[in-house]
Amino acid sequence: MKQHPLCTDTEHAANVLDLAIPVQVKQEWAELQTRRHFLGRAGKVLGWAAAASLLGDRALLGDNYPAAGAAGGDLLKLTNFAPKAKRAIYLFMSGGPSQVDLWDYKPNLAAQFDKDLPDSVRGSQQLTGMTTGQARFPIAPSHWGFKRYGQSGAWVSDLMPNMGRIVDDLTIVKSTNTEAINHEPAIMLMNTGNMNAGKPCLGSWLAYGLGSMNDNLPTFMVLQTKLNTAENNQPVSSRLWSSGFLSSEYAGVGLRSSGDPVLYLTDPNGVDREVRRKMLDAVNEINRQTYEELGDPETNSRIAQYEMAYRMQSSVPELADLSKEPQSTWDLYGPDAKEPGTFAYNCLMARRLAERGVRFTQVYKRGWDMHDNVTKILPIICQETDRGCYALVTDLKQRGMLDDTLVIWAGEFGRTVYSQGGLSQDNYGRDHHPRCYTTWMAGGGVRPGITYGETDDYSYNVVKDPVTVRDFNATILHCLGIDHNKLTYKFQGLDQKLTGPVPASVVPGLLA
Amino acid sequence: MAERALRILPQKKSTRIAWAASLGLSLLLLSLPWLVRLDGHPHADWQQFLGRFHPLAVHLPNGLLVLLPLLEVAGSMRPALREAAGFVLALALASCLVAVSLGFLLAYGGGDAGTGVTRHLWGGVVLTIVVLMCLLARPHRYAQGAGYAYPVLLACMLIALVWTADQGGSLTHGSNYLTQYMPAGMKRVLALGAVPSASFYARHIHPILDANCANCHGDGQAKGGLRMDSYELLMKGGQDGPVIVAGSSSKSILFQRITLPPDHKQFMPAEGKPPLQSEEIAWLKAWIDQGASPTLTKLLGVTIREELPAAHIEPVGDYSALMPEIQKMEQGQGAKLKQVSANPSDGMILFTVDAASTFGDAQLAQFQKFAPYIVEAELGRTAVTDASFDTLKQFTHLRALHLEETKVTGAGLPRLASLSQLSYLNLSGTQVTAASAASLNAIKSLRQVYLYNTPAQPAPAASRAPQPKEKNAP
Repeated sequence: MKQHPLCTDTEHAANVLDLAIPVQVKQEWAELQTRRHFLGRAGKVLGWAAAASLLGDRALLGDNYPAAGAAGGDLLKLTNFAPKAKRAIYLFMSGGPSQVDLWDYKPNLAAQFDKDLPDSVRGSQQLTGMTTGQARFPIAPSHWGFKRYGQSGAWVSDLMPNMGRIVDDLTIVKSTNTEAINHEPAIMLMNTGNMNAGKPCLGSWLAYGLGSMNDNLPTFMVLQTKLNTAENNQPVSSRLWSSGFLSSEYAGVGLRSSGDPVLYLTDPNGVDREVRRKMLDAVNEINRQTYEELGDPETNSRIAQYEMAYRMQSSVPELADLSKEPQSTWDLYGPDAKEPGTFAYNCLMARRLAERGVRFTQVYKRGWDMHDNVTKILPIICQETDRGCYALVTDLKQRGMLDDTLVIWAGEFGRTVYSQGGLSQDNYGRDHHPRCYTTWMAGGGVRPGITYGETDDYSYNVVKDPVTVRDFNATILHCLGIDHNKLTYKFQGLDQKLTGPVPASVVPGLLA
Repeated sequence: MAERALRILPQKKSTRIAWAASLGLSLLLLSLPWLVRLDGHPHADWQQFLGRFHPLAVHLPNGLLVLLPLLEVAGSMRPALREAAGFVLALALASCLVAVSLGFLLAYGGGDAGTGVTRHLWGGVVLTIVVLMCLLARPHRYAQGAGYAYPVLLACMLIALVWTADQGGSLTHGSNYLTQYMPAGMKRVLALGAVPSASFYARHIHPILDANCANCHGDGQAKGGLRMDSYELLMKGGQDGPVIVAGSSSKSILFQRITLPPDHKQFMPAEGKPPLQSEEIAWLKAWIDQGASPTLTKLLGVTIREELPAAHIEPVGDYSALMPEIQKMEQGQGAKLKQVSANPSDGMILFTVDAASTFGDAQLAQFQKFAPYIVEAELGRTAVTDASFDTLKQFTHLRALHLEETKVTGAGLPRLASLSQLSYLNLSGTQVTAASAASLNAIKSLRQVYLYNTPAQPAPAASRAPQPKEKNAP
């Protein structure tokens, strides 16, 4: 039985409070604590003790998850209500895709080429340092045409002909908006619900809340797309799939885009699987003794990770072996998918991970940060991603997996309707735009074939049905059967949660 | 016989006056609808102002008239109650007259016309006259013990009351108000319910108009001469001409008036009824703009979710006593049995992905004991065969069954027929043929069946070029 972090704490609290333990044992236990452990725990212990005497046993465990052993080991991992989606695939478009050029069709802009954006639209907004010094804010209509597709009649840019084919499966959100205007805080906010680093990300919360469906693979996996130097790339760091204050078991496990998917997973020369097993048993025994002495839950996480790595020695090669994929797969995902690390390859890999019971897969695609040269770069990145997104949704649908898999496509913000730098008939740039941007979801729990929210004539402000990042994340959790107010973890005196302390709400208009 | 009839004729002078007055009042009431005809045009505002108190005032005689027979019956045991009945009857008559007057003002002032209003009006008139007759007949019953005229009149009064009240209720709340949420079984017995039709008008537009407009513009009332309860009448329009211009929602009066600001005098639905929802307005707009056709089944730009009723979900029973066994089972073979949610009655899911290659029919058979508690079975890529259907058919609460890329063939599928809750079945990558998949039609609860990469798969439609519906020059 895996130990739940919360329960580990209460166990210690109970040990210290138990008067039957001889004094010297308690002293020994106390001496073994490091200063940090001691200070960290002492407060908690006193707090637990006070709470326990006031409220009784149940209070320690909270009402969101039943007590360990109440009805059996793994019951700590439960959704709050029957979920629509069992797993999710998050296609993260780092850099801020331009909603003006991709989804948010504004036919009236064509007539306003190079006219100044009215001050009333911008209001008192503080811009980034990159455009705040500009003398004027000339409107840059999209260089590309749009077409309506499907029964839903959604408008999609000519840059994404494949996406047009699946609009009836998408839930397009035109009114997503964020508080952050620069990459790092904005991307942290999208991923962890907080602009400051250090909080657990969405995938970690899901791994913590839902647990694993397949013990042979990590619950949360991350696929990075190979860098394309023709695009304007912003860094993506492992902070984004960190488990923060949750146990490191819940952190995302990355697959490398080239070479071995996971380093050092193959047995070194001269070491066979049996030797490896014996070595692990010995290491685990040492770790177990350390845990018994110090009681640091991270030691248990380490044991679990060694065991996971051992099981991944056989599961990952099977996962990465695409030789059994039929020709129809390659017809669907396109020729790029044969090359590891491309976006199409990662989309295919995300489907394979979903088939193998991985709860949450996050695919990162960088390069959307187009401060200049939009007309040259945007077609390149759309060419790279359009087919993969289309193929993934289509593939999940034909295999009957879209019913219980939620696909999410989002960046950290949108881009301005006005041009950054020079505007010509052939080219323009676009700055960061937090006030509105377009995202989409598809699959388990969300309502297909709708466009939610409206923006003004300049794709600048949300005029109807705004969706904040908090609401967006609350809605994702809802689709997976989790009440965002109940998935909490006590840390630094707060019941921490993904959506943070500011009230968030599930968006009913997005739900099936 | 003649003598007996004579006995109930007025003997005293005061009684004769009462009879004469009653006769006059009755004639006045009966001729009222002829004297002042309901012409469907609104009239003075003061009439509407007073008229709108009708729904308020009408409940007093309702209550009193139901109370009256109760008092008369109870009066046979307690004479004091019988005395009270006389007062109640007089009061009921007075309140009837008030309610009828106000009702007439409401109909005439508000420009109501139509069979529903007319029926309700006549009901009110007849009821009032019957009450008047009750008042005349009552003294004879008790003073002279004369016949059964009074009880018979009371019975007539009750019938008239129920019928008139039902007519009035239908005007206010709609004719399906009482039956809308009636249990389906009861509806079937009473043979209620609409004939389904495939057109967009029949499935989506008519229900919107029926729910929001037809109370005032329908069979019951036809305000402004407009009826919206059938396609032909809707397109015919009202006394000011057509309300729908096919192909142009902006030129259609109907659309203009439902999209005014809700506090506008011309806004529809009027009288403070809730405005249409934005989705309903969007459907109406698309329907009018695309020709207001009675037969078109799909509209561009409108996606409406399949209205198949959600599969009936039955909660599973209590399995807490089996938990130790479930855990032991998991440790033994690697397959997992997990609760769907914190609510045990949501059932359990069987996960086998960890042990897929070694999980076969024998392993599945070991879960037989937990069969009624399993709502979803993930058996994709396992070693199960057709023999597994004998176990699976005992999973009585199964809602989703994954058998993708297994060795099952179509031969076993008929054995799933007993799974009355099964709504999802994934047979992708198996050898199921179209002929054998046909047996699945027997499972009425099925909503999704996946046959990707099987001999049963319909011809591939994936290689189509993207087909934009509407072009737009950049």
